[in-house]
Amino acid sequence: MTDAGRQGFRHRQSAGRRIGRGLQFAGLGFALLWTLAPLYWMVATSLKTELEATQLDPTLFPHSITLQNYTGLAGGSLPFMQFFVNSVLTCLVAAIVAVVIAIPAAYALSRAKFRAASQVGYLILIVRMFPMVVLLAPLYLILLTTGLLDTHFGLIVGYTTFGLPFAVWMIKGFIDAVPIEIEEAARVDGYPRWQILLRIVVPLIYPGLITTGIFVLMEAWNNLIYPLTFITTLDKQTLPAALQLTFTGQFKTDWGGMMAASVVTTLPLMIAFFTVQRSMVRGLTAGSVTGT
Amino acid sequence: MRPGAAKKAHLSRPMRGRAPLLDGMVVPTLIVLALIIGYPVVSTLMLSVQQYDLINDAAPSYVGMRNFSDIASDQIFWTAVKNTLIYTFGTVFVAAFLGAAMALMLENLNGPFGNAARAIVVSPWAVPFVVVAFLFRFIYMQKGGVLNAVLMHLGIIEAPIPWLNDSDLALPAIIVANIWTTTPFFFLLVASSLSGIPDAVLESARVDRAGTWATLYHIKLPYMRNPLVIGSLLMIIANFNDFAKVWVMTQGGPGFSTTTLVVYVYRMAFENFRLGYASALGVIWLILLLVTAALYFRLLRGRD
Repeated sequence: MTDAGRQGFRHRQSAGRRIGRGLQFAGLGFALLWTLAPLYWMVATSLKTELEATQLDPTLFPHSITLQNYTGLAGGSLPFMQFFVNSVLTCLVAAIVAVVIAIPAAYALSRAKFRAASQVGYLILIVRMFPMVVLLAPLYLILLTTGLLDTHFGLIVGYTTFGLPFAVWMIKGFIDAVPIEIEEAARVDGYPRWQILLRIVVPLIYPGLITTGIFVLMEAWNNLIYPLTFITTLDKQTLPAALQLTFTGQFKTDWGGMMAASVVTTLPLMIAFFTVQRSMVRGLTAGSVTGT
Repeated sequence: MRPGAAKKAHLSRPMRGRAPLLDGMVVPTLIVLALIIGYPVVSTLMLSVQQYDLINDAAPSYVGMRNFSDIASDQIFWTAVKNTLIYTFGTVFVAAFLGAAMALMLENLNGPFGNAARAIVVSPWAVPFVVVAFLFRFIYMQKGGVLNAVLMHLGIIEAPIPWLNDSDLALPAIIVANIWTTTPFFFLLVASSLSGIPDAVLESARVDRAGTWATLYHIKLPYMRNPLVIGSLLMIIANFNDFAKVWVMTQGGPGFSTTTLVVYVYRMAFENFRLGYASALGVIWLILLLVTAALYFRLLRGRD
C-alpha cells in the first residue's frame, strides 16, 4: 500500500473498518498457530528426554532440554549418517542430471523451429502428471533384468525420469524470458547453436537452473515409493524410506528420537526451499503459467 | 502460455524452407522418457490383459478383458475410488480456500512482521511428506498424543479419540494433515497473483470508495481465478498420485477406510504380487489421467 493510500485509509477508518482489522488479525493469529503448532511440536519433542517425550499426558514445553535424541541418531544402532548421505547423493545427482538433459530440450521448445514442437510440449506435460505407482511394476522388472535393482544408480534413474519433464518446462520458462536478439549477434558471427546455448543462454539463466535443480531435488527427497520398492538393503536406503522402515523397530516407543530424525530430514529441504523461494511460484506451476 | 505460442512468435521471421519435424536437441529427453516411461506404459498395457501372479510362479497367461470385468465388481476398488476422490477434492478445496484467505490477510502487511508471517505460512511446503505423516501420526496418537491431551484439558472431549484407528475419522484426519502441507502452495499462488494487480487498478477502486469486500469481489477475485483453477488442477493430479502420507499414517487402514487408488495398486503389485490385475488398475488410471490432461489443456488454451 502506498503512503498516500495508508493515510486515506486512516482518515476513513470507521467502526466497520476496525472490526475488519480485528478479524484480519484474528485470522492471521489462527493461520500462524495452525502452521506453527505442528512444527513446534516436532522440535519441542525432539528436545525432550525419552521419558518426557512418551509420557501419557504430554508437556507443552520441554522441562529439561536435551540433545540426546540428536546425538543418539549419530551413535545409534542404525546408520543414520549413511541414510542422510544416501539421500543427499541420489537426490543431488538426479537433480543435476535432469537439469543437464533438460537444457537442450527446453531451448529447442522455447525457440521452437520444428513442426512437432507443440506435440512434444504436450507429451512432456502429460508425462509429468503420470502416476509413479502405475509404472512401478514394469520399472521394477526393468531394473531387475538390468541388474540395477538395489543400486543407487537405479534410484537415480527413477528420480531423474520423473524430474525431467518438470525441469524441461521450468527451464523453458526461463529461456522464454531471454530476448532472442541477444543470440542474433552470435548467430551472425556463425556460431553453432550448441555454442550459443552454452556460452550465451546458459550463463543468463544460471539462477533459474539452480532453482530448477532444487525443485527436482525436493521432489526426489519427498519420494517414498521408489526407494521402498527399488532399494532392498537397509544400508543403501534413503532417509524418508529408512524412517518408515525402521519406525516399527527402533522408534516404536521413541518418539523423541523419531522427531529428531524428522528435524534432520526436514532441515536440508527447508534450506533449499528458502534459497529459491522467490522463484517458487514459477516453479510450482511450470508449464501452466510459464512465459508470463 | 501454451507450447505453440513461442513458435507463432517466430513465424513472422523468414523461415528458410519447411521447418524440420523434430529438433535434435529434444532427442535426449525423448529417449529417456521413451525408455523409462514409454516402455513401462506399453508393458502395463500388455500386462493388463494377462494373469500374472508372481506368487504361484505360474507363467503369465492371456485372459482378455477379465481383469477389467473383475475390477468392475471389486468392492475395494470402488471404495478406493471414493476415498481418492474425497482425499483429493477435500484437500484441494479447503487448502485453496485457506491459502487464498491467508494471502489476502497478508497482502497489505509490510515490515518485518509481515515478512516473518509470510515465511512462516509457506514453511510447511518444505517439510518432507514422510515427516508430515509421522508428525501428525504422533499428534493424533490416542494415548499420549498432543491433540487428545489439549482437547481433554480444554474439556472439549471426555476420553481420548483414536483418530487414525477409527474408520470414520482416519480419512478426515489424514486430509487435515494434507491440507496443512498443501495450503502454502495456494498461498504462494494467490499472493503472487495479487501482487500482479496493477497499482492503478487498486488506486481507482480506492478513489471510487469501493469497500473492502467490493474490491475483493470485483477486482481481486478475477485476478485470482485463473491461477486458482490451474493450481487446483495441478494439485488434484498431485494428490491423486500421493502415496507417502497415507502409507505412513495408516497403510490404508483401518479396514480399507483410507485405501486410496495408489495404496491399492501398490498393495496389489507388491504385497499380493498380482501384476496383471495391478496393471489393469493402472490402465484405468491412465485413461482417467488423459481425460484430466485434456481438461487441463483446454483450460490452458482458454487463457490465451
